[in-house]
Amino acid sequence: MIDEQMAVFIGSGLRLAVPIIFAATGEMLSERAGVLNLSLDGMMLMSAFTAALASWATGSPLIGVAAGVLVATAVAAAQAVLSVTLRANQLVVGIGFNILALGSTTFLYREIFGPLSRDPIPGFAQLNLPWLAHIPVIGPALANQTGLAYVSILMVVVTWLILKYTSFGLAVRAVGEDPRAADKAGISVARTRYLGVLYAGILAGLGGAFMSVADSNTFTENMTKGAGYLAITAVIFGGWNPWYTLAACLLFGFATALQFLVPALQLDVPVALLLLLPYLLALVAIAGFVGKSRQPSALTIPFERGG
Amino acid sequence: MVMKNPKLAQGTRRKLVPLQVLVPIVSTVIALGIGLLIIAATGASVVEAIEAFWDGMAGSDFNIGASINRAISLALVGLGFIFASRANLTNVGGEGQIAMGGMFATAAALHGAGGLPLGLAFIVPLAVGTVAGAVWGGLAGFLKAARGTNEVISTLLLSFIALPLVYWSVESFHLLRKPISDVSSLPESAEIPDSTKLPLLFPDNGSPLHIGLLIAAIAVVVVWLVLKHSTLGLRLRAVGLNATASRRAGMRTSFYVILAMTVSGGLGGLGGAIMILGQQLYLTSDFSSGYGFDGLVVGLLSRGSAVGVVIGALLFGFLRSGSINMEISAHVPSAVVLICQGLIVIVIAGSAILTNRKVTR
Repeated sequence: MIDEQMAVFIGSGLRLAVPIIFAATGEMLSERAGVLNLSLDGMMLMSAFTAALASWATGSPLIGVAAGVLVATAVAAAQAVLSVTLRANQLVVGIGFNILALGSTTFLYREIFGPLSRDPIPGFAQLNLPWLAHIPVIGPALANQTGLAYVSILMVVVTWLILKYTSFGLAVRAVGEDPRAADKAGISVARTRYLGVLYAGILAGLGGAFMSVADSNTFTENMTKGAGYLAITAVIFGGWNPWYTLAACLLFGFATALQFLVPALQLDVPVALLLLLPYLLALVAIAGFVGKSRQPSALTIPFERGG
Repeated sequence: MVMKNPKLAQGTRRKLVPLQVLVPIVSTVIALGIGLLIIAATGASVVEAIEAFWDGMAGSDFNIGASINRAISLALVGLGFIFASRANLTNVGGEGQIAMGGMFATAAALHGAGGLPLGLAFIVPLAVGTVAGAVWGGLAGFLKAARGTNEVISTLLLSFIALPLVYWSVESFHLLRKPISDVSSLPESAEIPDSTKLPLLFPDNGSPLHIGLLIAAIAVVVVWLVLKHSTLGLRLRAVGLNATASRRAGMRTSFYVILAMTVSGGLGGLGGAIMILGQQLYLTSDFSSGYGFDGLVVGLLSRGSAVGVVIGALLFGFLRSGSINMEISAHVPSAVVLICQGLIVIVIAGSAILTNRKVTR
């Protein structure tokens, strides 16, 4: 009985962590290049909606994911123009995009699906990998995930490899720490930052699409519920390191999943207080840990050539 | 911060002053135009939508009063935003500060304040709500000063923490939830006592306009005086422009960071308290929905001017009333106003390069 509930808890904790893992991993690379995308939540929401719409229209969740990623990347491109070329305040622009994303997805959802639609949309099936299921306790939870969930872990590895072993990764780190020196060394600051933001957009798109097409098979208004902000916090908590960021995302996922476990165990803890737990944890984490790990020196600071 | 030639920079800025007024106006007009196009694209009658919009905004004394009441809370949040931004702090946690202010004002009104004499019945809940918002904002200021925590992230997270707290308070019978009766079992508080409701300005003509208007007017004047004509305003500005230099000049920069966020949050808390005591009259879990971001946009649009906050707050107060009525009578989703707001923020932030040659942050 308890074992069964633990398996459900671990499974839902992982499912809830996946979108944050996607978004945080991309955002980590972008921040290493010096651009903070507060619009992450908006990119995820736009992608979640577009993926649901495209999957519903074509019957193929794969096309849904592709469409979602495309839209999120378009938002990222707009964010990049404003943050890099127009040197706008990155935080304010991000909030603007989040308001726009909430408005446009809510509007389109009501126009296209109507206010009461709860029909499931075509989504991915769980893979049920037998060789994973045999692991005790966590096995069933690990095995009963959709393919996209495994892709999220793969992206952490890929991002780690990019940062550590490629010349692009070196450029990203240089541009985020000392753009002037990087510029003098012949690295294009603007190009590197554009690519960083677009990378964040692609991954945020995968995370958003996961929410609607792989996790819940439906779209609900404002369904990200601040997951993008949690992802940004996970990056800070993880000290701009891919593995620690992954750990922070898992922590937030499990903290969110507690709201299902605690009532199931019939513990007398108000659900409302469990709802705020991930955010409280995030606040304590960034207040307590950010001093220890240094953020990229040029984070949120626009770069102007020849200054 | 690149400032090669201060004289030149000053000269350019003076020449560009009209742009600072022009940009918010032009971007608002463009955004509203796009909003109309979207309404037209849905196939709804634009004329009908505009009529419903106008009717909701200003169709009667009641609607005008309701719109201005909305503007009052938005103005207070916007004032809080420009107060913090004077010290180069970006308070995006208006939603949480409103929520805390409203929740504690409700608690004060329901538990004890009702019997107080001489108008204290509503003054005490207003003060309690203000303090609650101030604590919520001040917390972000403290984290910034003590731990270097970015206030944008902390105020956002504090909002995500405040909203479940309000939900908890209206869901628990031992907190603020009203007892279940045969008529209603909704998770909301009981209605506040009559003596704690804000007195109406024109009780005879049916307008809901209340004395929150006078409170907001006083707040506008005080914030304007402090920011433009006081040593405190100058010091906040110095701390915001160059914390290291200010510290070397003998200023306690931590104190000013915490103060700026506390005042900013307090204004938001007051806005939330006025919403409960003036219009809502009982607490629901989502009473603050959207007001925080609206107030933030108002603050952004105003470019640091208290007069700009008043104009922006009135604009958004009337827009919100209009959009609600448009959804009810013309069946156009009110989310179209959110789209306009998002566009306004993005365009204004993007045009900062035109109005402000100085590299921001």
